[in-house]
Amino acid sequence: MSITVDDVKKLAKLSRLEFTEEETQQFVKELEATLKQVEAINKVDVSGVDLLESTIDADTQLRPDVVVDSLPVEQIVLNAPDKKDGAFLVPITVAED
Amino acid sequence: MNYLDLSLTQVKSALDKGEITSQELVKLCFEQIEKTKDLNALNSTYFDLAMARAKEIDAKRAKGEDVGVLGGVPIVIKDNINMLGTKTTCSSKFLENFDSPYNATVTQKLLDAGAIIIGKANMDEFAMGSSNENSAFGAVKNPVDETRVPGGSSGGSAATVAAKQCFASLGTDTGGSIREPSSFCGVVGIKPTYGRVSRYGVVAFASSLDQVGALTRTVEDNATMLNVLAGADKMDMTASHTPVADNTSKLNDGVKGIKIGVAKQFYTEALSPEVRDNLQKALDWYKESGAELVEIDLPSLDTALAVYYVISSAEAASNLARFDGIRYGVRAKDYTDLVDLYFKSRTQGFGKEVKRRIMLGNYVLSSGYYDAFYRKAKRVQKVIRNEFLQAFEKCDVLISPTTASPAFKLGEKANDHVAMYLTDIFTVPINIAGVPALSMPCGKTSEGLPVGMQIIGKHFDEPTIYQVANAFEKAHKGGE
Repeated sequence: MSITVDDVKKLAKLSRLEFTEEETQQFVKELEATLKQVEAINKVDVSGVDLLESTIDADTQLRPDVVVDSLPVEQIVLNAPDKKDGAFLVPITVAED
Repeated sequence: MNYLDLSLTQVKSALDKGEITSQELVKLCFEQIEKTKDLNALNSTYFDLAMARAKEIDAKRAKGEDVGVLGGVPIVIKDNINMLGTKTTCSSKFLENFDSPYNATVTQKLLDAGAIIIGKANMDEFAMGSSNENSAFGAVKNPVDETRVPGGSSGGSAATVAAKQCFASLGTDTGGSIREPSSFCGVVGIKPTYGRVSRYGVVAFASSLDQVGALTRTVEDNATMLNVLAGADKMDMTASHTPVADNTSKLNDGVKGIKIGVAKQFYTEALSPEVRDNLQKALDWYKESGAELVEIDLPSLDTALAVYYVISSAEAASNLARFDGIRYGVRAKDYTDLVDLYFKSRTQGFGKEVKRRIMLGNYVLSSGYYDAFYRKAKRVQKVIRNEFLQAFEKCDVLISPTTASPAFKLGEKANDHVAMYLTDIFTVPINIAGVPALSMPCGKTSEGLPVGMQIIGKHFDEPTIYQVANAFEKAHKGGE
């Protein structure tokens, strides 16, 4: 599997990460090396095998659908880099007229 | 007597008998933390909080009240587990100042059992790594040999127990992150069955593979810790409702008649000769002690690492998408608009290995590659899991080396991520199959480095793992 500089740039954009040209070049090599290792999955015959949904036999249970207390607002915004009156503050995303 | 030399079980007994108070014990632990601080095992410590709690527990104990099975015992938790009043950093710059908004279920269970949480352990950033060199707060040194890595990602959790800074710690294990460091530092560590322990309040890496487990100095201590941690949780739907068996119930049952599976795929040419010798001696001992060795075939085992890197990276990329600099974590200062804020915050906040996993994860999930990688890996996962289920029709446990080689030198693999990933070759299949496994010391190399033995059990059959492990530990106490 060969990886191009454009592939890495596209992935970086999807990942919301920025890389220098040098880092991008390095990622081309690294991703290729990792994908070569990952190709081992093609050695296994999976014809007739479904996706694994859970490693343990499903013994999970849904909880009753009743209203319970959730975390208080102060705890939710506790770590916000910027906040006001119990809300998260973000940069303006719609232009002011 | 130095109380720090005692096991958790022994020191709890000393506390109960009034030989020492919890406050004295906390002070001893902090003296030891100071003496061994060069290890860099802990990201934070809480002396005042711990002393206040120890005082409370001492008072309760003096009045004859129930103080819990861990009453007054100093314990450390990994820094990806939330605890009110403390930071949860995941050893990442992104979360350097993150205040825990609530207690993780495992934290609450420890506190309810009377534990005194004295600090949080260093780790690979977001639990991604096998050497603890990916921490934003510096590498951890191995207490056995400070020129070597302690393993990862729970490197601090293993080092703090091995260095006798505390009596037990919590780690998390997605592909070997409890067992590999346990092996490298010579302690006992368990990765329980997927779903045995709640993940609520534990920062997610790969949600379908992550489990919390304990690291201790003895097998009995470990079983005691799992008894405290295990069980269903209304806050985590994947925490299993399968009843929790008493993990200490079969500790002294011996191994007569126990069927031990030996799969040749675990004893490859990659094994260092000294690891091979120590494992062979352990298997010989089990046979002499009345266990039956059964040959097992796990034909797809060598593909587990590839499956692991596809699935864990895909889940990591999705889980880490929430780190956007809006609701918590570091927000970059010099952005032009909202999208630029995301780019800059993530680029500045995440370390190199984390970015590598996000990129790989998004690659295998992206259009055109999803079927070839992600869906394929999930199907191969089923094949591997079924091979384990079939193996357990013929044996009670499987025994393998935890790692192919003992602890490597700091820096040795830091620039070769493929070599680093290969470190986990024997531990990742366990998470892929969802079964439980414990690593314990089974000898030392000529250089004095611990060799780890991995005992793998059936889903939810941790008591049998502890039975098999304790028999070996009892027979080899104080030496090899």
